[in-house]
Amino acid sequence: MTDFETTNPPRRDDLVQRIELMEAMIAEGRRATTRFGWIFVMWGLLYYAAIAWEVYLPAPAFAWPACMVLGFVIIRAWRWRLKRSGAGDEGIRSRSISAVWGAMGCAIFLYIGAAAFSHHIMNPAVNAAVLFFLGLAHAISALILRWPAQGAAAAVWWIGGIAIFLAPVDATIYIFLVATFFGMVLFGLYAMMLERQRAASLVQHHA
Amino acid sequence: MPELLPELDPVVHGKLRLALLSLLVGVEEADFTWLRDKTGSTDGNLGAQMLKLEEAGYVAMQKRFAGRKPQTLYRMTPTGRKALANYVTSLKRLLNGAL
Repeated sequence: MTDFETTNPPRRDDLVQRIELMEAMIAEGRRATTRFGWIFVMWGLLYYAAIAWEVYLPAPAFAWPACMVLGFVIIRAWRWRLKRSGAGDEGIRSRSISAVWGAMGCAIFLYIGAAAFSHHIMNPAVNAAVLFFLGLAHAISALILRWPAQGAAAAVWWIGGIAIFLAPVDATIYIFLVATFFGMVLFGLYAMMLERQRAASLVQHHA
Repeated sequence: MPELLPELDPVVHGKLRLALLSLLVGVEEADFTWLRDKTGSTDGNLGAQMLKLEEAGYVAMQKRFAGRKPQTLYRMTPTGRKALANYVTSLKRLLNGAL
């Protein structure tokens, strides 16, 4: 890419070229800033949906597996669509974070499955561990991104995990609901707000 | 129409510099290698253009270590954002009427 001489009067073609160049580069930049905030909101809402199904709807045994599978399907479809559009983020940071959350998802899935199969699922310590898993994934992401807000989300999950050990057994569900609100839904909304601010490109503003 | 030329900031107008600013406007920060890969530039040319942008106050540079590897990170400054916004305004004006 060579530099462009600016000593001559600009020609229309040159200026149009500049606009095309800006659009292409902004699109490139955007590929590195794919939006992820909605994923946290979605998982938070799916946790709530699973709990609501478990309490109010028939076949409660299917509530969590069905909601979790739905979440995975939505994520896979989104990633497939990103890849197809060529907008997938190939950065090492993004891959690291995806790896952490993917591995955490597998671990929770196996852990809960094993706990349910062995009838340990009602043990508060088992539930607390899930909150520690989620806090761990948030904390690793926060360290990679150097993002205090996600560190706060990690703290919410860990405090929730500790609270489960200290509170009466009946309080477990309420602790989980509160941790989900602050550590997933609210955090996701905050991330979405930041992403929206960042994505407001100059070209769009001046179009 | 030479009198219209001064409206386009020459620091922004350079093709590679414009590409770099357009890349940086959408990201919080970017490292030298990423910018080089995205623009297809050489190390020398990229370094020289980034220096010009830095001298103009349009980007800020930070050096750090990722493990044992040195890393050079760039981010756009508010002055750089303003300069790019002004450049887009001028471009639009030129394209809409002057040329």
